Formats: sequence, structure tokens, C-alpha cells
Amino acid sequence: MIELVYDVHHQVTFRWLIALYFYFTGMSAGSFVISTLAYGFGLEKFKPAGKVGVVMATLLLFIAPIMLLLQVGWPIRSVWNHFTYLNFSSPMTYGAFLLMMYPINCLIYGYFMFKGDMKRTKIFGMIGIPLAITVHGYTGFILAFGKARAFWNTALMPFLFLVSAIVSGLGMMIIILLIRDRFFTREKKINTELIYTLATMLGWMIVFDLALVFCDISVLSIAHAEAKEMTHLLLHGELSPLFLGIENLLGKVVPMVLVLTPKFRSITTITIASVLVVIGILFMRFVVVYGGQVLPIV
Amino acid sequence: MAKTRYAFVIDLRRCIGCNSCSVACKSENSVHLGVWMSWVKVIQKGEFPNVSRSFLPLLCNNCEDPICVTVCPVNANRIEENGIISTDPHRCVACRYCMAACPYEVRYVHPIKKFVEKCNWCLHRVKVGLLPACVEACPAEARIFGDMNDPKSDVSKLLAKHPVQVIKPEIGTEPHVFYINLDNDAIEKKRKVDVL
Ligand code: SF4
Ligand code: SF4
Ligand code: SF4
Repeated sequence: MIELVYDVHHQVTFRWLIALYFYFTGMSAGSFVISTLAYGFGLEKFKPAGKVGVVMATLLLFIAPIMLLLQVGWPIRSVWNHFTYLNFSSPMTYGAFLLMMYPINCLIYGYFMFKGDMKRTKIFGMIGIPLAITVHGYTGFILAFGKARAFWNTALMPFLFLVSAIVSGLGMMIIILLIRDRFFTREKKINTELIYTLATMLGWMIVFDLALVFCDISVLSIAHAEAKEMTHLLLHGELSPLFLGIENLLGKVVPMVLVLTPKFRSITTITIASVLVVIGILFMRFVVVYGGQVLPIV
Repeated sequence: MAKTRYAFVIDLRRCIGCNSCSVACKSENSVHLGVWMSWVKVIQKGEFPNVSRSFLPLLCNNCEDPICVTVCPVNANRIEENGIISTDPHRCVACRYCMAACPYEVRYVHPIKKFVEKCNWCLHRVKVGLLPACVEACPAEARIFGDMNDPKSDVSKLLAKHPVQVIKPEIGTEPHVFYINLDNDAIEKKRKVDVL
């Protein structure tokens, strides 16, 4: 029997603030991409989602960096130092630039959209897509570069983050569209066709997300000792209620079944599914960020 | 002559778990309450009367390929000429990224000054030809410090003579604290995990 007699206490590095930061940038990137379906790619059907999308994307991306500034010890110095002492091997360096450029592009894109200048909207929509993808993808790189942690150190991380970003963006957008149509329009009539289309997209994105999670966890479960321990923690240990119960069952499987089974499909179930998804992804961020660090490493 | 590359050898056959090294470090580097640059982990094996304790002194490995330097967005960590990794309190913004990435959990945020610190093998002493404080303090001479590129140093002699082991070589940061008689059970990861 091996017993630990004494060890010092280690500070936990990232907590809720970073999880929330990832959550908000994810939702922002997700809703931006959806908004470009109409205004970048000309899919008329998604037009009502376009303006909602750009407003969400911009607002969320103004809230997200606040989480970061609350997290770092020296908020003002951090903004300054990030641009003066560049280290090009750190994903965070690129993040600093993206966090400047992306919201500015969102503002310009939104401005032209509301002005009705379709040609320029399209241009800035197209510029925005890679920005949105990288502004969230880089957060996956941040964790993947945390090589000490078995749960983070995988090349799948940016993709897991991107897909869950689209999932949460769609979920949030459906909720906002429903609220807007129901309470803030003259006709008080829900655009059922659009909601159904978005819900179907949501369902299939969840399928894709679950597939990625499956790939990630199954490889983790046969990898090195720490990875195996991490898998145990996620599937049978202290993290399993959050990971299996909330994130994957309530946050993905249940909504997927609700929106993809024609028998269950209605505005009510779609609303429930969207709320579940939005909560589920929040827990996904927390499980990845915080859960990744709970295993002691020395 | 080859460039100086400092290294630590910790001879666990000699360590008696007295924690003089931890105390010397605290006082030399004014390490704040509740945080540690250098400490001694203790494990116990077996059941009475067949028990044994092992001590594992831990500190920054001043790695050859340090992930803390790779990830710091503001270049606050520097690889010195002699291989030691120093941190710059004026640049550090306490983003904690290096803490998340270090495979040895040796970094912490100073609770008051709010920047990241870690053991730098007493760089300020080493520069003027003194030994790190913990090495001076160790009554059992279990901690040996020196230039591993100099064949006449104690470190080189020990490294040449004894089988040595580093903690988690698989992680690939090329740590430079070498242990003689390291017990894998002492770096066994299982500990109580508290969620939330
Ligand atoms: S032990 Fe950690 S803090 Fe020290 S040099 Fe290696 S990676 Fe950096
Ligand atoms: S906490 Fe300080 S030293 Fe560590 S990565 Fe951030 S800025 Fe660099
Ligand atoms: S001072 Fe020496 S003997 Fe005492 S705990 Fe530290 S390394 Fe071991």
C-alpha cells in the first residue's frame, strides 16, 4: 500500500473565468459563422438569423475578454505587454491579435449589414469567417499546448472547441430568435421554417460533436498512464456526473434526440433542446478547463 | 571548454526528509506563505511493522526544452547562458499559462505581488559563485549542484558513476534534476481529487 504522507498545496491554474471566456468566444464564433450563411453565402432562408447573429457575435466578443482581464494578475500591463514582448511560439500571442481584429471586423460587418450595403457586408463576412474560426480555434490550441495535462494535450482540441462553438452558437441563436419573434415583433409569429432548419443543423452538429468526443475519449482511454487515469475520472470517477450526465447526456444526447426525431419535433421541444445545449456546452468548457487540471502531476 | 550547463543531482539514498532545504529556500528567496519553490514530498509504503517512508525533494527542473518558455505570451521566461530559466517579474502578467503547461507543477502566483515565481536554482547566488541555498543547507549532502559540462564537477562525477533517473522523462522537456535511487511509487500520481 502506498500512502501520501505529505505534499504541498498547488494552486489551480484556470477556473470558471477561463471556462466562461472559452464559452463566450465559442458562442460568438458560432453565431458569426451562422450569420454569414445569409450575408456571405447568400442563403436567403437564413436572412432573419443574420442580424441576430452579428449582434450576438459582437456583444459576446466584448464580454469574453473581460473574463480574461479579470483572470490575469495585471490586466492593463497584459494588454500592453502582449503587443510589445511578442513570443511567436505561444498561442496566446496570436490570441491577442485575434481578439483585437475579430470584434472590429464584427462591427464593420454589422454596420454594413444594417446599412443594407450587401456587397461590403459580403466582403467583411468572408474576412470574418477565418477570423471567427481562429479566434475560437486558438483557444483550443492554448489548452493543447498545456502539455502537462493529458486531457488537453491532443490535436483534436481545436476541433472539439470549434464544433462545440457552432453547437452552442446555434442553440443560443434559436433561443434568441424565438424570444424575438414571440415578444418583439409586430406579428408575434414565430418563423417556424427557419427554426426547424436551424434545429436540424443543431442536431447534426451535435452528432458530429459526439463523434469527436468519442474519438477523443477512446484514444485517451488506451494512451499513457495519466491519460488512462483521466479517462477513468471522466467515465467512472468524480468528473463523471458532469461529463457524462450533464455535458453529454443532458447537453447533447437528449437535445439530439429531441430535434432529430420527427415525432418529438415542435417549437417547445426545440426550445428545451436549445436551452439544454447552451447549458451543456457551458459544462463542457468547465469540464475541459478545470477537469483537465484536477489530476496531480507529480 | 564547453558552455556551462548547471544541473542538480539529488541522492535519495542520503535524503533524510529533514526539510532543511525547504526552509533554506523559503528564507533565501522570501517565498510567501502558502506557496513553495522547493519542497519534499513524503510517501509511506506497506503496513506496520513492514513500513518504509520515501522522500522526494521537488523543485524546478530548469529544463533544456522548457514548455514554460514556449507558451509565455510576453517572453517573461528567459533561458540564461548557464541553462537556468529565469522569470522576469516586470514582464509577467500572471496569465498563468506557464503554470498550466509546466509538467512539474513548480510555478505559482505570488499571493500579493501577483506575478509568477519559481525556483531558479538561486541564480543570484550561482552568478557570484555560491551554491544554491538548499544545497548549502542540506545536512546529508543529498543535494549536489554543479556544471554537468565540466567533467571535474561533483555533478558530472555522480552522473558518470551512478544510474540516474529524472521525473517524467516521457514529457520531453529534458529536465535537469537527476535523482539517484528514485522510486517510481513516489511519483505515483494517485492522490485525492476534489472536484469544485
Ligand atoms: S520544470 Fe517547469 S517551470 Fe521549470 S523549466 Fe521545466 S517547464 Fe519550466
Ligand atoms: S504567468 Fe507570467 S511567466 Fe507565466 S506565461 Fe503568463 S506572463 Fe509568462
Ligand atoms: S535538506 Fe537534504 S536531507 Fe533534508 S530533506 Fe532536503 S534534500 Fe533531504
